[in-house]
Amino acid sequence: MDVMMCTVLGAGLAIGLGAIGSAIGEGYIAMNAMGALGRQPGASQKILRLMIIGQAITETAAIFALVMALVLLFGGNGEGTMKAVTYIAAGIAIGFGTIGSGFGAGLPGGSALKGIGRNPQNSDALTVQMIIGQAVTQTSTIFALTVSMILFTLSPELSYLKMAALIGAAFAMGFGAIGPGIGDGIVAKNANEAVGKSPQNMGLLTRTMIIGQAITETTDIYSLVVALILIFVV
Amino acid sequence: MELITGEQFVKGLALLAAGISMGFGAVGPGIGEGFVAGKACEAIGRRPDEQALITKTMIIGQAISETTGIYALVVSLILIFVV
Repeated sequence: MDVMMCTVLGAGLAIGLGAIGSAIGEGYIAMNAMGALGRQPGASQKILRLMIIGQAITETAAIFALVMALVLLFGGNGEGTMKAVTYIAAGIAIGFGTIGSGFGAGLPGGSALKGIGRNPQNSDALTVQMIIGQAVTQTSTIFALTVSMILFTLSPELSYLKMAALIGAAFAMGFGAIGPGIGDGIVAKNANEAVGKSPQNMGLLTRTMIIGQAITETTDIYSLVVALILIFVV
Repeated sequence: MELITGEQFVKGLALLAAGISMGFGAVGPGIGEGFVAGKACEAIGRRPDEQALITKTMIIGQAISETTGIYALVVSLILIFVV
């Protein structure tokens, strides 16, 4: 198989799949911004600002996928069948791995905008809570990016077993990042909704949110461990 | 490439299966734990004085939701090291 063909396939998988989550997440934020504007047209400045910040952070996942796609397109000039397999595996890992975080980061943004629609005075507390929630949600994408980068730089010996192990590692990390990404987003969504209703409880809510998100991330860490075992131990 | 023997073929498929097992196995627990912690945040927002009880129940609920993720991890480790 031609290596060039595999880099193009890997890049296509990376950005094609990687754009799904962020696009839906950003749409969800804008949708809730419209709802908030309908309720509080006077606070349009605050609503627009929060919408743009939220969408920019939600974009992170898609930007990681784009970076990896460009790296594959312009840096993927290795040779041999094994290199070709690593390029496809890198594309699978980052492509599927960004779906969850992209969609998940949209959820807290949407509920923060709902909160502003209810009471524009809480905009500062909501912005801080939204940014913390979205930042933690990106963890699973960062794991996927790490595995993808490792797969890209790897140049293993030609072996059938290693080939299966590398594709397996890509599936483990790629699919494994979807669930925790969405789950983290759900935690942050409800925490933001609660801050919108009662901003005086913000400290307590931030703490509970971070504990909840950390526990949700455990499955992601299992996936990372399995992927690293498949890459380095097998 | 040298000829693939039957044993290698099985081992290779087991490695691929280990990846797929852990990958798909992590989707459900991830979303499920998110629901648990999300509702816990909502409950604390409504009744902040009950936060100790809510946090405790949240951690128990998440630990139980996690079990299927641990099954997936165990299965994939068996596929990697035992098969």
